[in-house]
Amino acid sequence: MNSNVWILTFADAISIATTLILASLGAMITERSGVINLGVEGYLLMGAVTGFIVADSTGQLWLALVASIIVGAAMALVHATLTVTLRANQIVSGLAMVIFGTGLSQFIGKPVEGKTRPVIIDKMKFGTLSDLPLVGPIIFGHDPITYLTWLLALSISLYFHRTRPGLILRATGDAPATVDAQGVSVRRVRYLHTVVGGALMGLGGGWYMFARAAAWSQAATTNGIGWIALALVVFASWRPLRAIVGAVLFGFCLQVPFTLQGQQINILPPEIVSMFPYLMTLVVLVALSTPRARRLLGAPKMLGQPFVRDER
Amino acid sequence: MNASSEATQGSHRENGATPFALSARNVTKKFPGVVANKQVNFDVARGEVHTLLGENGAGKSTLASILSGLYRPDEGTVLRNGIEIRLTSPRSGLSHGIAMVHQHFRLVDRFTVAENVVLGSKGLTFVLQPKDIEAKVAEVCEKFGLPLDPRAVVGELSAGQRQRVEIIKALYHGAEVLLLDEPTALLAPPEVVKLFETVRAMTSAGKSVVFVSHKLGEVVDISDRITVMRDGKVTGSVKRGGANASRLAELMVGREITLAPRRGKSDSGEVLLSVSQVHLSHDQIKILSDVNIKVRGGEILGIAGVSGNGQRDLAEVISGLRQPNKGAVTVCGVPTSGLGARATRKAGLAYVPEDRLGTGLAPSLSMVDNLLLTRERGFLVDRKSALTEAEGFIEKLEIKTPGPLTSIRKLSGGNAQKVLLARELFSGDMSRVLVVCSPTRGLDVGAVEAVHTLLDEARKNGKAILLISEDLDEVMTLADRVIVLYRGKIVLEARGVSEDFEAVGRAMAGLSA
Amino acid sequence: MIVGKTRIQLEARLTSPRWLIVAVPVLSVLLASVVGGVFLLLTGHPPLRTYGDLLNNGYTSFYGLTDTLGLATPLICTGMAAAFAFRMNLYNIGQEGQLYLGMVGGAWAGIALAPHLTPFIAVPVVLVTGALFGAAWVLVPALLRARLGTSEIVSTLLLNYVALNLINYFIFGSRGFFRDPSTPFPQGRMIYESARFGAFGTTNTYPTLLISMFLAVFLFWFVRSSNYGYETSVFADSPSTARYAGMNSTWLTTSVLLVSGSLAGLGGAMYVVGPAGKVDPGLLQIGLGYAGIVVAALARYNFVAVILTAILFAGLRVGGSALQASSDPVPIAIAVVLQGAVLLFALGGELFRRNRVVITRVIESHQVMVGEVS
Repeated sequence: MNSNVWILTFADAISIATTLILASLGAMITERSGVINLGVEGYLLMGAVTGFIVADSTGQLWLALVASIIVGAAMALVHATLTVTLRANQIVSGLAMVIFGTGLSQFIGKPVEGKTRPVIIDKMKFGTLSDLPLVGPIIFGHDPITYLTWLLALSISLYFHRTRPGLILRATGDAPATVDAQGVSVRRVRYLHTVVGGALMGLGGGWYMFARAAAWSQAATTNGIGWIALALVVFASWRPLRAIVGAVLFGFCLQVPFTLQGQQINILPPEIVSMFPYLMTLVVLVALSTPRARRLLGAPKMLGQPFVRDER
Repeated sequence: MNASSEATQGSHRENGATPFALSARNVTKKFPGVVANKQVNFDVARGEVHTLLGENGAGKSTLASILSGLYRPDEGTVLRNGIEIRLTSPRSGLSHGIAMVHQHFRLVDRFTVAENVVLGSKGLTFVLQPKDIEAKVAEVCEKFGLPLDPRAVVGELSAGQRQRVEIIKALYHGAEVLLLDEPTALLAPPEVVKLFETVRAMTSAGKSVVFVSHKLGEVVDISDRITVMRDGKVTGSVKRGGANASRLAELMVGREITLAPRRGKSDSGEVLLSVSQVHLSHDQIKILSDVNIKVRGGEILGIAGVSGNGQRDLAEVISGLRQPNKGAVTVCGVPTSGLGARATRKAGLAYVPEDRLGTGLAPSLSMVDNLLLTRERGFLVDRKSALTEAEGFIEKLEIKTPGPLTSIRKLSGGNAQKVLLARELFSGDMSRVLVVCSPTRGLDVGAVEAVHTLLDEARKNGKAILLISEDLDEVMTLADRVIVLYRGKIVLEARGVSEDFEAVGRAMAGLSA
Repeated sequence: MIVGKTRIQLEARLTSPRWLIVAVPVLSVLLASVVGGVFLLLTGHPPLRTYGDLLNNGYTSFYGLTDTLGLATPLICTGMAAAFAFRMNLYNIGQEGQLYLGMVGGAWAGIALAPHLTPFIAVPVVLVTGALFGAAWVLVPALLRARLGTSEIVSTLLLNYVALNLINYFIFGSRGFFRDPSTPFPQGRMIYESARFGAFGTTNTYPTLLISMFLAVFLFWFVRSSNYGYETSVFADSPSTARYAGMNSTWLTTSVLLVSGSLAGLGGAMYVVGPAGKVDPGLLQIGLGYAGIVVAALARYNFVAVILTAILFAGLRVGGSALQASSDPVPIAIAVVLQGAVLLFALGGELFRRNRVVITRVIESHQVMVGEVS
């Protein structure tokens, strides 16, 4: 086996990482405001199927992606209404959204099941740069959304740490009562970031549809990527740029089974190899649970806690 | 309310002179079941320190909340410089130059001082300029003589320093009127002195300060005027110099109160609790070092100290919840260190923790289930006997509750504390040693008295009681002996009444006596 | 919140009226049906007729109802599994994987142990083995949660995907123990007849239904009356109070998760003892584990109510399958859509059970003050 295969696997890992990055950025923004959204898997599926249906009927890629974004935002709006306004259990609400999203995506996707995707996201051409060895496929071999995602991670990082609304966002996740006392509406901050987070998850689903999946199929679309994205948020310690690194790492693990299969290497049965990404995620989670790691991570303090102003 | 107007009662109608910086006129605020403020009038002039004095539950915090915009009055108006204003939120209060510093600080621990100060400020640029912000914050610090590093992380500051951050925050946002809610509650006496200096610096710069407090003793020095509230009404108002402590106390509680300390008879009882050479550290930080304590039957040993000096950890070590790194605890002659909470309890120790609703009681469960908490339980729980017991306690201790099956959360603080004390004092196997932490924090005056009586009775019945409290007055009125804990060490051991109050205060602040 | 001159406020109820405990789930089901109806309309299926068919195929016809009860049997188990953990704020969402492992454990006992056992105890051994396998599958997440505080949510969920691949490996990827050696067609090896229950008559309902229901009633009593149930209630309400009372939180956390896993595993074993008789990848398509979470949440973690909500959801599924096979095929996923929607509405409804909505007119303060100021 030559080293080229592994370079391509790595390039593929970077590509598959896009969904992971988008989904974990979405989850991260939401969690920074103090809201947990466990529904990622459902958002990805709905984003994917909506994009597919819109593309199937209009043939417009960009319209399809906008639809994915809207559907993600709409689902997040429901989550925000339930958890922020109605103070429902955030964990159960997120799970409900996974179930609802899984069911609805299968339901509305039934007529188009098995159809090949009508449009794809093309890789960008950088002339000779793309033909360079190593850096060609790894850096210059991706589609515009992937580059946009990197840019997005950078902007969100700057937003978190360098801007006024970012300061308020971080304070909302840590000490909502303080933010409230400053006359900033905790509710508005949480709604806004939950919805934006959902939109990113929706985009992640849409992108996956047109860049990675060959056809819409209910079973094989996301395969737990949403859950891996949630683990990734912890791995990245709620910092956007670290999410890129983590996503590539996770992406690599997701990609290895396909590479091995493609190379006809059958040391282990494919079903066993397919378990690796999930097992690796589990190992990472455990490593991050040691008291030392926990201190360094710095999760938002009031994550998952509804905020009720003390209006006796 | 007219019976006791001594000086400025009713003076909210200005006589053409400079209007008051902030006034409340005929303010009424109702909460479900209580009228927190009833036709209250209050005002503060420019450059004045006006104290709002009253017991817990008198309505003074409600009034401060109305003046700062947190609550809206049901009736009445708020005036700023003589002009009616309508406050809808703390933010709108701030836009009128009114800011409140809460008893529980509203700060983000992970942020720096500067970040905390500017949080929510409308004057910030979209992209933050950390250097500019820090410079501006430093400027405010300097102007009012409040030494603080704008880049320090708030989570690492002391209570006094955090309070300073809150005050700087208010000043930074342009506050002209500052409402300080129980500002001395968390401070050691020397820190209180520093706070008073700050207050003076502010008033001489033309700011007005409303000082909300229930500690009669300390407010006399700082106040230009004192207004007393009771049961939601103003009972009187006194100018500087016109104040007399016992008169103020009478206005506060509505009757003569005896501030006479309660003491046990003798110290001839046998030693029931002994702590010897206990050391405790966490993450290489020393929490307790070489603590030695002996408590005899029939006495109350008070432990004074500003919170965070190892008191809670000591209580946890004694009750078996934490294991000391070194040293031994003996309860009724049984060495208990390392045996855990259940065995320690079995040896005869009862424990009333500081956090009654989150630790001593399970808030969503009923009184019956809460009485079962520290009992020996078989495979099946015996709720019948607990129910009988609960009914007995409700009657005997006059616990106000819809019934023994109502969840504890729905009880008032005082009644919840009675349930907890009843369980620890009388329920199940009678224990002979009692550790109590801040037993009256946040309780109204009637409940405080009830709790003190219960503790006093337990002492008379021969129990050995370790009373850990931040409320120095409480320790001084109840304890036969007093120990001061500072940074995990016993820095002073005082022999009851005659001991100098001031020496204890200095020891609490870490100044050698 | 203020809308115009009206202020809408929520006020905590001191006591929740009993009728609301029933009204919230019923209303949730109705509202979810409306949402499902919208999607049915959009995809060109007449909602009323579809719901009529669903009702008939799922509940009101004899075979519909008995099919539903058959499917409800393992669903009660996964519902109990979720309820047992969730009521202690332990979010085990790995019932799906634990259910699969229960099926594997049951099939193993049914093939390897049953020939050596008298028929009378063969079935119990299969069921217990399945429960043990389910518990084993949650052991690692349970210990991690209890010892290190690792979130059980993601860890249990990740193991679902591992379990799924494991079943696929047993049946499709290998020619091992669980695969039927007599045919090249990939399917599970049948367990011994002595380890199986016969169905009631010609229905698809098995005696295991009675075991599930009995267990639910038992657990209902157990969590209310036993010391263990008491300790879990204290721990759920306030971990720091449990610590204060000297309860062993590591033991409570671990054991609750293990019991939860074993209940889900038991469901998988019941599937083996009853309709399947083997490791059947068909179970992977039904989503009984995820549905168990919905069942538990809608029942508000009340074990007796779990029986009712499980039957409700099993009926949706059975009715949904019939719809898919009808002349105007409606995707079975409508059942899952309805499940999700019911849960979402029930969650929102909780607030109204706990709080009362108070609507007051905002009084302009100067109107009150008119007399005073003049």
